[in-house]
Amino acid sequence: MTDALTTVEPPAAATPRGGGGGTLRYVLSKVGAALISLGLIVVLGFVLFRVLLPGDPVRTLTRGAPVTPEGAAALEREYGFDLPLWGQFTRYLGNLAHGDLDRSLVFKVPVAQKIGERLGPTLLLVGVGTLIAVVLGLWLGTRTAWRRGSRFDRTATGIALALWSAPTFWLGLVLLTATGGLFPSGGITYPDTPPDFLSQALDTAHHMVLPTITLVAVVYAQYQLVMRSSLVEEMHAEHLLTARAKGLRDDEVRRRHAVPNALLPTVTLVFLHLGLVVSGAITVETVFSWPGLGLLTFEALRFPDYPLLQGTFLVLAAAVVVMNLVADLLLRVLDPRVRAS
Amino acid sequence: MTAPEPVERTPGPAWARRRAAARRAWGEFTRHRAGVLGLGVLVLVIALAALAPLITDADGVDVTRATGGRLEPPGGRYWLGTDESGRSVLLLVLWGARISLLVGLSATLLSIAIGTVVGILTGHFGGWGSALLMRLTDFFLVLPSLVLAIALSTVIGPGVGTIVLAIGVTSWPSAARLVRAQTLGVEARPYIERSRALGGGHLHVIGKHVLPGVLPLVLVNTTLAVGTAIVAESTLAFLGLGDPVAISWGSMLRSASNSGAVTAGAWWYLVPPGLAIAVVVLAFTLCGRAMESVLNPRLRER
Amino acid sequence: MRQRRWALGASTLVVAMSAGLGAVPAATTATAAAQQGTTLRVAVTQEVDSLNPFLSITRTGTDILRAAFEELTTASAADLSPEPGLAEKWEPSPDKLTWTYTVRRGAKWSDGQPITAADVAFTFNLMLSNETARTANGNYVAQWESVTAPDETTVVVKTRAPQTTMVALDIPIVPEHVWSKVDVGAEPAYPMVGSGPFVITDFKESQYTRLSANKQYWRGAPKIDNLDFIHYKNADAAVQALRNGEVDLVNGLTPTQFDALAGDPDIERNNAKGKRFNELVMNPGAATATGQPIGDGHPALKDPRLRRAIAQAIDSKTIVDKVSGGYATVGGGYIPPLFSTYHWEPTGDQARPFDPAAANSALDAAGYARGGDGVRVDPASGRPLKFRLMLHSGKAFDEQSAPFIQGWLRDIGIAVDVRSVADNKLNEDTTAGRFDLAYSGWTGNPDPDAVLALQTCASRPNADGKGATPDSFFCDADYDRLYAQQGSEFDTAKRAEIVKRMQQILHAQAPLTILSYDNALEAYRKDRFAPFTLSPDPGGFIMNQQSYWGYYSATPASASASGGSSSSTVVWVVIGAVVVIAAVAALVLARRRRATADERE
Repeated sequence: MTDALTTVEPPAAATPRGGGGGTLRYVLSKVGAALISLGLIVVLGFVLFRVLLPGDPVRTLTRGAPVTPEGAAALEREYGFDLPLWGQFTRYLGNLAHGDLDRSLVFKVPVAQKIGERLGPTLLLVGVGTLIAVVLGLWLGTRTAWRRGSRFDRTATGIALALWSAPTFWLGLVLLTATGGLFPSGGITYPDTPPDFLSQALDTAHHMVLPTITLVAVVYAQYQLVMRSSLVEEMHAEHLLTARAKGLRDDEVRRRHAVPNALLPTVTLVFLHLGLVVSGAITVETVFSWPGLGLLTFEALRFPDYPLLQGTFLVLAAAVVVMNLVADLLLRVLDPRVRAS
Repeated sequence: MTAPEPVERTPGPAWARRRAAARRAWGEFTRHRAGVLGLGVLVLVIALAALAPLITDADGVDVTRATGGRLEPPGGRYWLGTDESGRSVLLLVLWGARISLLVGLSATLLSIAIGTVVGILTGHFGGWGSALLMRLTDFFLVLPSLVLAIALSTVIGPGVGTIVLAIGVTSWPSAARLVRAQTLGVEARPYIERSRALGGGHLHVIGKHVLPGVLPLVLVNTTLAVGTAIVAESTLAFLGLGDPVAISWGSMLRSASNSGAVTAGAWWYLVPPGLAIAVVVLAFTLCGRAMESVLNPRLRER
Repeated sequence: MRQRRWALGASTLVVAMSAGLGAVPAATTATAAAQQGTTLRVAVTQEVDSLNPFLSITRTGTDILRAAFEELTTASAADLSPEPGLAEKWEPSPDKLTWTYTVRRGAKWSDGQPITAADVAFTFNLMLSNETARTANGNYVAQWESVTAPDETTVVVKTRAPQTTMVALDIPIVPEHVWSKVDVGAEPAYPMVGSGPFVITDFKESQYTRLSANKQYWRGAPKIDNLDFIHYKNADAAVQALRNGEVDLVNGLTPTQFDALAGDPDIERNNAKGKRFNELVMNPGAATATGQPIGDGHPALKDPRLRRAIAQAIDSKTIVDKVSGGYATVGGGYIPPLFSTYHWEPTGDQARPFDPAAANSALDAAGYARGGDGVRVDPASGRPLKFRLMLHSGKAFDEQSAPFIQGWLRDIGIAVDVRSVADNKLNEDTTAGRFDLAYSGWTGNPDPDAVLALQTCASRPNADGKGATPDSFFCDADYDRLYAQQGSEFDTAKRAEIVKRMQQILHAQAPLTILSYDNALEAYRKDRFAPFTLSPDPGGFIMNQQSYWGYYSATPASASASGGSSSSTVVWVVIGAVVVIAAVAALVLARRRRATADERE
């Protein structure tokens, strides 16, 4: 949780929206909904950073540094502030269609370029973190559900709840203080690491340890809890009793029937969560100076660099919408109940 | 989605029944040891926070009256050491609870209020307006709320109010969806049909039937959401979007990190506020989960 | 089947993780090999905005550029006075309107081309003709008429008004043969052809900037091979890196961090007197350059008696001790004490020591009676003395000292509403006069002109609230007259006298009060580097100097056996091995237990 201000509602799976129709219709409706959401994000990005933004735009852009009238006029033209609001909106849409997000005030390069540079580290951190969290969460979730009420269950569930309750950035700070010098305190590589692939990869891995642990600690708990509760529910299902009655061993029942079914809501959650993990990376990246999108957002926030903030807002929000779409489509493929409905 | 038993099965004034139901629920609740523990912790923390001005001296958190040294380690005089201005960390944690809890509670109330209104409206009325509202809810549900909160607070400027607003405005959709589902469940029951047939208007149906049916769920959701809001408050304060002079757990962690407590190894300044957050959030969660399973018997054995 | 795949996945992951951990020693050794005492690694926490010499305005950006581009003159290490750089000598005309610079013969760009007067003239003319080229240093050329290079070694600059900064032009000179072919606003290509002791060879935004020694440097190549500026997001991470030996030099330490490094035998600390002052400005009735009132400042603050009382109620000593941990100087005159020539300290009956009782009785005498809630009321407007205090969001000094100021002013019956505002919003609001009290602060130069100009009537904005950089909106005829005088006074002693009289006026009128002068706290690995040249000397800094002496002086410590890394290699090998063994053991154990559990049933 933590960075996601809202907890994700896990099983969209449990409430399949009815209404007949084939796969195509399902896909179309999901894609359509995602497109509408993307459209709304685009509009919101404009409203937040163009319409609601207080004060004189040029002054905002130059951060109060003195400019000549010609300089101010040139800036107004570059960012389109000389246009009426509607004109600004169409300009914004047009630029967006070309992947143009204006120029960053701090870095003085196109925002799109800056975001492109920072995407890689975030994907690496979030990818590895999610992978470990998923494996850990599913494994612990299965074990705790199977041995419900045991000491193992109580301990593991307790730890998960406690980690889920702590703020991410605090875990990061405490880790940093506690490990005191065992790991690099920030960044992604040392500048004097030899440029060959192996050395770079190892150096990156070394730098990744603390941020990844922090991210995993916060994320896996939710996967574990959801996996546990859906498995518990699954274990009461009739077909399991049947399976057991057929004389299958407990372990096999778990493997062949319960776990695959319980996996569904958890996998959905993983995808639903992925976008939020990306934005959750803001605090982890800030604490560990990890040069990704989250840190970029924080840097943009400090100045504040409005075009850059707008860009990161659009990208992060769009990522969540796309991940949701993937989750919905994947669900369709995986879950026979949704397929049937 | 949880599908709680409606508290009320038949129309009419049923206070006695409700009281009995509440008593039963309480009895059920006390069977959850973790939930009782959570409730106990919450009562204690809230009492301490409320009584802070009475049991401690407000001068202790006033920097101009601070008497300790910079970042003194824990000792006889300051049980949890001092901060960079020489104030007692223990005292700050105590006073910080006030803002953290206040922000957490008011942000949750705001989001639950919006969520409940939207949920009941869309559940009760239906039609294209409701469909549109649900689409909007779904949209806000997927929006990365921290990013939105950051964007909002850059636009309206930092402060406690900003944080409340940012959390409230970004976290209502899940409540709205829950309440909507519950509303639909309640309205599908036959007695609503009867009530309508007897001439009950929208207000009557909502006020007498839907709201009481939805309230327990809202209460559970609120309890669970407060924890989330407290963590969100600390995150936003840590990123520098809070009131610079207000003492909250989040702002303490921000000061600790800004003043170099990590380097100095001043664990007494870093650990207590974070631990306080974790404990209170955990308490709210345990409480909420216990309430949830009281409402939903299917969850009882989990 | 499925289970096996799971187990496979899990073990792959464990192996991959332990490989990542276990193999780190290799990386560490490689790192150590690549350093070998020839790289000075500097930790910086501020973002480099740009390495384009015409655009960069951040402290880190300009600091790096100063190491890579020689200027016409440079500030001497000892006392920051102008000293020959690319120009061997310079001569003003009697009317001080024409300046003739003689460019050094034999100096070369890092690509071997000679540096000539044409390069200097090209740079200046580019700034005169191109708006973008004036982004960073346009203020120096605002009053210039023309720049010519009559021969290989002579540059002539004609100005419209006498300008004292002509001997301290902080403008990087760029090579014409490179910059005439590129877009001025574009990010430069690396390596960047330069003229300073180092050449910028690589730049990875928000990761690092790498420089290497300039073998062509006219003073002689530096004693180290590389100079790395490594970016850290926060000072804590930078300090941790210094302790680990990941970097060699760090600045911008907080007092806590500086104290924490005290016991480390491998680290030397440098507590330098700073060039910066922190001030609290009090809106004395904001107005435009033409005297039109603007903004919404509290009218009571027009009264100098009230402003003086506020200044007296603020305890600079406590701010220095508590907020700056003693690493600062108590506030006094407007020009920081580092610039001792121009610094003025209030003494005798001009001194205004912290005294809340005196401030209270002064306010009582001035007719500001306390209301029912203890807050005084302005007799003229009838409004209570409730002031907004605007601080820079995220600035540690502001955030830490605001509660103090709030507390002290409460003691003299003034209510303060503290507002944390983003930098640009604060600039915008203060420029438009929408403030009562606000934090501000400036970094002084050896030449006081720019800082003094901030308090003149002319620095107030035009009618739209634009086109100037007002600080406190102070406007005083005497002050302005003296300002004009000092600007054309080329005799330093006489000029200092005028500047001190200006500071007395500011002190007496109190449109602002100096809260403290920050020290610059730095630390370096003394096991790897010999002491650096400080500027000014003594008491100055290593980083962010007015020139490049600190980096240029970097000398690897004799017998620099960087033994730290070999012992840490051992540690890593051990940790890696333990992790691998533990993981394998756990895996085997888990599988066996599962097997027995299955069999039991």
